[in-house]
Amino acid sequence: MLGYLTRRLLQCGLVILGVTVITFCALHMGGDPTYLYVSERASEEEIVATRAKLGFDQPLPVQYGRFLSGLLQGDLGTSLTYHTPALGVVLQRFPATLELTLCAMLMAISIAVPAGVLAAFHRGRPLDGGIMLVAMFGQSIPSFWLGIMLILTVGLGLRWLPISGRVPLLDPLFAGQFMTALDNFPKAIPYLLMPSMTIALFSLARTARLVRSSMLEVLSQDYVRTARSKGLSEFRVVVHHALRNAWLPVITMLGLEFGFLLSGVVVVETIFSWPGVGRLVFNAINHRDIPLVQAAVIVFSVMFVGLNLAVDVIYARLDPRIRLT
Amino acid sequence: MKWTLLWVYLGVMLWGRALPGDAASPPTLIRIALGNDADTLDPHEIDSQESQSIARLLWGTLYSVSSDGKLTPYFAQSYSMSEDGKSFTFKLRPDLACENGARLTARDVAYSFDHVADPAMKYTGHEAGFVLPALQYIGAHVIDDLTVTFSLKTYNPIALGLLADMYIFCRANYQAMSKEQASTHVSATGPYRLVEWAHDDHILLERNKAYSLPVPAYDQVLFRIIPEGSTRSAELIAGNVDIITGVAPDQIDPINNSDTAKVETVASIRRIYVGFNQSDRFLSAPGGKAIRDPRVRRALQYAVDVPTLCSALLRIPCVRPATMIFPANDLTGIKADPYDPDLAERLLDQAGYSRQADGTRFEITLQTPRGRYPNDTNIALAIAQFLGDIGVKTKVDIVDFASVFVPLSRKHAAGPLFLMGTSGASWSALYDISDLPSPDGGANYTNFSDPDFFAGWKRIEQTRDPARQNDIIRDMMTVFHDRGTWLLLYFLPDVYGVSNRIRWQPRADEIISID
Repeated sequence: MLGYLTRRLLQCGLVILGVTVITFCALHMGGDPTYLYVSERASEEEIVATRAKLGFDQPLPVQYGRFLSGLLQGDLGTSLTYHTPALGVVLQRFPATLELTLCAMLMAISIAVPAGVLAAFHRGRPLDGGIMLVAMFGQSIPSFWLGIMLILTVGLGLRWLPISGRVPLLDPLFAGQFMTALDNFPKAIPYLLMPSMTIALFSLARTARLVRSSMLEVLSQDYVRTARSKGLSEFRVVVHHALRNAWLPVITMLGLEFGFLLSGVVVVETIFSWPGVGRLVFNAINHRDIPLVQAAVIVFSVMFVGLNLAVDVIYARLDPRIRLT
Repeated sequence: MKWTLLWVYLGVMLWGRALPGDAASPPTLIRIALGNDADTLDPHEIDSQESQSIARLLWGTLYSVSSDGKLTPYFAQSYSMSEDGKSFTFKLRPDLACENGARLTARDVAYSFDHVADPAMKYTGHEAGFVLPALQYIGAHVIDDLTVTFSLKTYNPIALGLLADMYIFCRANYQAMSKEQASTHVSATGPYRLVEWAHDDHILLERNKAYSLPVPAYDQVLFRIIPEGSTRSAELIAGNVDIITGVAPDQIDPINNSDTAKVETVASIRRIYVGFNQSDRFLSAPGGKAIRDPRVRRALQYAVDVPTLCSALLRIPCVRPATMIFPANDLTGIKADPYDPDLAERLLDQAGYSRQADGTRFEITLQTPRGRYPNDTNIALAIAQFLGDIGVKTKVDIVDFASVFVPLSRKHAAGPLFLMGTSGASWSALYDISDLPSPDGGANYTNFSDPDFFAGWKRIEQTRDPARQNDIIRDMMTVFHDRGTWLLLYFLPDVYGVSNRIRWQPRADEIISID
């Protein structure tokens, strides 16, 4: 297990290094970033001095080396917009994004798993067809369109839910203010529903299809037939025998799904005016706040890689054969 | 069982909770939705339009600009100018106070200027980057608690208006703050104080109890940050905000057709024009030589149907201006060139640029930033089509604003044609033409160098008589117009959504005022 973990950690390190190279190059291809650090009316002398001070007159590999050295010390530069350390700004917004992603994940799982099981159990019947049709729509609808439609119908037309904004939930929790978090909980839920649904729909549809196919495979196994022949109720057969084994590929998928949900927040946070990392990145790209974009991309990639590592470890614990591969 | 209990709990909590859209807001709160958050709340560094609107509520200025473009005393009771025009002395109101109740004196006013002017502080905002250099500010001298004098290197006929752009704050509060602290910690001197700033979410202000001048009607001002235009419109129609900025053309009808809100528009002080870059660097570029000929520049003026551009692409009617001066200040009487493609073709023929076999007279490139001004790329594409119709084959080069367009324009190297928007002022024709202070002036992006025009500045310096100054401005604008210096398009219409709950009129200077 230790060898497996070491190997996976090394792979994760390489992936993150690759991400830093791509991010660094992509952001520096857009022209001389010095102009972002000076006033629009700065003189040529000021521009030259700023370029030298920030090291933008150095070759790109040297600049990358300095960036990497800063990264290892937790210094990802200072945000041009906020004039504070970029990593701090990203981490400050992270609870909002995590809140949204967790809610979307919860929504996706709580709907997708029963839907997938039902579809598998009623294979070939109208219920199966209906669920798969809805899943197909879920995978086809772009999130920005769905978000705006939800705003217009549920928010503006029916007035059931607030159109935009957020009541903090995880921020007070992380700050140790449990009573505030508890007090905010019922206020926060209405704000979470529409953006979470917008993010979750694609993942929900995909997970439902996966659960269905996984369940179909398991339901045809001998041990399920044995369970049935023992006279167990269908509910017990499905939940205790079939679903438990059908979970394995779903768990792997959920790790990836969490990453996809995280990346999906950029558009959704902008549409619903949700003050999370996704919107921060959107604004940072618009303002070419390079340190902030770099910090956000690295935090996202570390999260993504970390989650996948966690899933792999869990999977390896659940299925010992994994360690050999 | 525990799941059932959880769902029951959630249901009860949600059922019993009134949503923000359901509850009528207290009438003493005004809610304004902006597309972008403030970049900083440090009065020294403020630059963006969003920050300026918020800053006007937090800090006072010596003079203020009214919605109709008049300079009126604010923190100052009066001012006097020295004979040579190089120093201004202001008499302050005696009842000014800092947020903590301490008395605001001339020492605070002097500090507000000198601290920003200190090169060691390296401020880059509007005050340090534009106002003080334009004033050629030397320093402040405190005469007594209520009197302060500012020294300038030269006479500047628009000095008073520029001084009105400088925020006054209290020395004791800001001296103790680092730059980082000052960006989020506000010590107000204006009608409101900062209650809360949740980045990218909202900024809440409430009445500043220490402020003794007449106050606006609202006890609280809530700025909500809603980046997506259609979400802002939905919030307005739902009655959750009172004012929204930057209404997109496709949102105008839904808002006007709602029972809860309407659209208000105003021609802003931001001029949108196509610049003809007359720099030598474009002599060998396609079309570069042609646009150095004033006859060609005049011809292109007649080729573009500006009212159609506005109605089709901005969904707002507009009037083509004749000069670079904001219409309310424009006393020149010069008439704008009409849309007349036949005349344009004749002028090009006379200039020696006849149509060739393929119908083309010459080729040229029009550079445009993407997303900087409303519908900018489509406006540029439409202009290219209009120019193409008279045989000027125009290629549109769409570039990123911050990384490509700003560096190019800063070096006066955008072009040979480029789409640009620059701000004038609602209070002074002289301010409006100060984009062209000299052939190598910072905002002279077209490298315009006509000696007849620039001689006007010398004449203005020699007189203090406003009527005489207006005559000189007319002469300068005649040269500007006759030489086809810019292809003027329109003063950008600012489009706001306003709730029927309030009465509010937009200002031309893009400041959201709640007086």
